[in-house]
Amino acid sequence: MRRILMMVMAVIAMMSLTASAGTISGKVSGVTGESVVYVEAVAGKTFPAPTQEPVMDQKGLMFQPHIIVVLQGTTVQFLNSDSVAHNVFWISVGGNKKLGHNLGTWPQGQKRPFKFDNPGAVPLLCNVHPDMSGYIVVSPTPYYSLTDKSGEYKIENVPDGSYTVTGWHEGAKNQSKPVTVAGDTKADFTLSK
Amino acid sequence: MPVRHRMSIVFGVVFTCALFSTYSYAIPAFSRQYGTSCSTCHVDFPKLNDFGKAFKDAGFKFPKDDDAFIKLAPILLGAPAQKDLWPHSIFPGTIPGMPPIGLRFNQFFQYTNGNANNYNQMPVGPAGTLQAPNVPTTDFEPGFFSIFMAGNFGSGIAFWVDDDLSVAGQNANGGLGDGYLRFVNIGRFFKLPTDALTLRVGQFELDLPFTQARSINISPYDIYSEANIAVANQQNPQAGVNNLLAMSDAARGIEFSGGHLYRGYHYSLAIVDQNTSGSSSPATNVPSPTGGQAGGGVGFFSDSNFKDLYANVSYRFNLEKDAASRNSVQAAGATGPRDHSYLSVGAYSFYGSSEQRFSGFASDGVTPGVLIAHEPFYRVGGDFSFNYRTFNLFGLYMYGHDQDLLFNPLFTGFVPGSPAKFSGGFLEADYLVLPWVMGIMRWDRVQSSADFLNQAGSLNYFSPVGSTRDRITPGVQFLIHANIKASFEYAFRPQQALTYDANGNPVNLFRTNTATGALEFVY
Repeated sequence: MRRILMMVMAVIAMMSLTASAGTISGKVSGVTGESVVYVEAVAGKTFPAPTQEPVMDQKGLMFQPHIIVVLQGTTVQFLNSDSVAHNVFWISVGGNKKLGHNLGTWPQGQKRPFKFDNPGAVPLLCNVHPDMSGYIVVSPTPYYSLTDKSGEYKIENVPDGSYTVTGWHEGAKNQSKPVTVAGDTKADFTLSK
Repeated sequence: MPVRHRMSIVFGVVFTCALFSTYSYAIPAFSRQYGTSCSTCHVDFPKLNDFGKAFKDAGFKFPKDDDAFIKLAPILLGAPAQKDLWPHSIFPGTIPGMPPIGLRFNQFFQYTNGNANNYNQMPVGPAGTLQAPNVPTTDFEPGFFSIFMAGNFGSGIAFWVDDDLSVAGQNANGGLGDGYLRFVNIGRFFKLPTDALTLRVGQFELDLPFTQARSINISPYDIYSEANIAVANQQNPQAGVNNLLAMSDAARGIEFSGGHLYRGYHYSLAIVDQNTSGSSSPATNVPSPTGGQAGGGVGFFSDSNFKDLYANVSYRFNLEKDAASRNSVQAAGATGPRDHSYLSVGAYSFYGSSEQRFSGFASDGVTPGVLIAHEPFYRVGGDFSFNYRTFNLFGLYMYGHDQDLLFNPLFTGFVPGSPAKFSGGFLEADYLVLPWVMGIMRWDRVQSSADFLNQAGSLNYFSPVGSTRDRITPGVQFLIHANIKASFEYAFRPQQALTYDANGNPVNLFRTNTATGALEFVY
């Protein structure tokens, strides 16, 4: 009897959790191209890093994809698909220049991993091809979205509650705003450079 | 013509030549085609980095997987499968996806130190006569406005054409620089190692150990501009060498080359027109089948039937310990790819036979006729270049030798005279302080007794006071952007004199040191 009661309570708890997860959607305007919207750190909550390791490729003298959004603690694999030498470095993470790093050079077809433990945007550069540019955006929560080219985004499965949500676009000033999530919630951003 | 006026003209010519004989190119067309920065190939354009050298070696292509990097797809002039039909179809080639045109403009400002007073000490004409204007101590000058095109037609055929549309603000004052086709790696047809044999045809700068046409310096290397002229004068009445050839001159002909500029061996062998008269314009003496210049066709011209030979061979030792890094196009540094640390050594030689036609007499000593003096000449020298990270020290030595033929007393033939000789070279250190700041220190030296005798006898404004001319030229260059550069150099010029006393000693010694600034952009 006690066992059944516990199962019923667990089901009720899960149902209540599901019922309290909402979405944040909206549009990032004022800039063109892809942007990133993510929920800032939630006090007292930590999120395990995923085991999947996304790949940032260097191909045709470009970082591909141009932007990757990852959860804090994620390891990113940096691949060189080109037959020319590249390197990957960044001078800051989230504007903190103490977190700059240089991954060096490695041959075609090989990868080099790096774990991003600090949140913020990581501007990727190559020291022999100054025209190359890419970004890793490290989100402190798993609630993030890469917008489409028109700026539309949708973050799903965000527990109801009050958060700070930030909009990011390369070269633009970040914009953060408080958002209270209760079901489907709208949050638009207007960014400027 | 008053002496002073003549001096002004001489000064003007020398000034213009000194300032504007530097041709430098970076190729914006490649930036557009590959969607990449100038600095992919250049370190302080137009100086090539190791990748740029490999790009050039490959015929203006990426050394490997070129197609993967092209952002503007080339236009096919035939489907690739047409290759299988050849010779029953035209072998398929390509042209760049957009006109591979680059433009360049530069301008100069020069300050000349303290020569005006000396100049004013020149003898003046009678009272009331018009005098030539003073040589100003400061000058603004527009430089070159040039158009240049380069690329690849597929099948390993590269092309280059550059032309100066205007020089010093004067339209049509320039001319064709280089214009050639380059058939890369034709050794593959003879089962030779890759890149062992490449053919270039057209007008081009000789494969000098260190290019003058694409030098970063504002002023040219003195030794490359050195002609060997030993005209008869009071001090040297027997002289007869009149060879205006300078090693920086564009040559017309064909060139075989092989190897790489970024590692290992490199050689070139050129067979080019003789041009010791300094003339570059077509003459009507050998008209083309279409009627020569007067008939609207192309005139053919060279000084003589003799073809000059130029050879250059070098070997570059990359100094990285790791073999993979050592043999790669760029070294794998801890913080990214970089140019190799290397030592290269080389030697070069140019051989020609100057032909001069004189009025004289046949062997009977009576019948007037034309006598032709064939005066063989050669230039020979060696060079080295040492590079460590962003520091590059390089130098070149050249020795020039022209046989001198003099008339016999009856003017019926020639007898050997003393050869006209010169020697010299340069030593230069380039240090890339920051990716956009280049520091330069350079020493030029030319030793020519013929020059000294010629100038002393002709009261030339730029008379050297001895047979040796040294010039020290520190400089600094700033890349404002990858395609805009501000350059400054200060030339400590050789000591000169305007006049000589009765004993041949110079009077009123001075130096025309110059500070020159240049602003250049390509787009």
